[in-house]
Amino acid sequence: MSKAASMFRSKKLDLSGFVNTRLIRDHNKRNAFEQMEPERQALRYMIRNTTLPQRVRAQAQLQLSQMHVYTRPTQIKNRCVASGTARSVFRDFRLNRFQFRMQALAGELPGVKKASW
Amino acid sequence: MFSYTTRSAIGVGKRLRVPVPVRSLSSPSLPNAPSPEPATTTQAGPAPALATGSPDAEQPSEPRVKEWSQRLRALGEDTRLPRSVQAIYSRPLRRKAEYGLPVCDLQLRSYSVQNVEFFADFAIRAAYYLNLPASGPVPLPRIVERWTVPRSNFVHKKSQENFERITLRRLIQIKDGNPQAVQAWLAFLRKHAFYGVGMKANVWEHDSLDVAKSMDASLPEVEKTLRPHLEQFGQRHDNSADRSIFDVLDSDRFAERKNL
Repeated sequence: MSKAASMFRSKKLDLSGFVNTRLIRDHNKRNAFEQMEPERQALRYMIRNTTLPQRVRAQAQLQLSQMHVYTRPTQIKNRCVASGTARSVFRDFRLNRFQFRMQALAGELPGVKKASW
Repeated sequence: MFSYTTRSAIGVGKRLRVPVPVRSLSSPSLPNAPSPEPATTTQAGPAPALATGSPDAEQPSEPRVKEWSQRLRALGEDTRLPRSVQAIYSRPLRRKAEYGLPVCDLQLRSYSVQNVEFFADFAIRAAYYLNLPASGPVPLPRIVERWTVPRSNFVHKKSQENFERITLRRLIQIKDGNPQAVQAWLAFLRKHAFYGVGMKANVWEHDSLDVAKSMDASLPEVEKTLRPHLEQFGQRHDNSADRSIFDVLDSDRFAERKNL
């Protein structure tokens, strides 16, 4: 199994809207994790199952550690859909704080308005 | 005074009607013939009015439409609106619940008061005409979400801005209604869904105390419908061979999902 990240890249661009190299990379990571999740879970179960022979568990550990980095859930990072920024992204809107402010002031987010209390 | 202003408004409309044929003549409807002469011959109706241009030629001898004041008086005296239309101007009618057994809880959510109030009113009126006793709308607590963001860069943390989103909720409860009528009501509301208003319904169905007997009676039919689904369960023959778990993980069947 080659370790190149290009194996998770789709032939055609399968994202729309704002597109960024880092956004595409994150998207590929999400796809990779989704595809390989059953295998990861099976191996994790084998590693933790004390009734299995020690050899099998060690083998499972090796296999799990040799899987591609992109298949790990920790690789996934929420990114702003409007600017691709990775910092201070609101989960509710999938927007960066700055993009959120601009769109809220422009009235593009339903129900969001300036608060004062 | 009122009739005078309306009459003057009608006069403005008449005067405005004159430039319309002029624009249609000047527009190149016939690209081969840009001159206005063939167009005037084809359009016989408005052309003489344009050619004369005098306002007294346009005035009809007898007004075809009655004055507004006359029409309004006739509407007030001679006719009346249908009762269902009249009911719109008063509070919604309600059926009385006989037993008070809740059947359906409908929650309406919106960010604007007008939308949610209007649609709650609409839903209650629809329930009346479907013979469903409805109670409400009960104003449930508002959901307030607030966000504070810096106005600009990280350095200028002192200057921030607050945003909020307030979700308004209304609860409409249907009591001891026919389940089919409740379904029809919900379908009607979904068909005429109002913009910016979300709906969520909890529906309860009640059965007699002999429900166990009826469930037993319906068991063969349920089993028949479930059989194709249950046949999918169990271990495959080609899977029961003496193979290690790693062979299984590497097998084609397992790798199907990966599509790499």
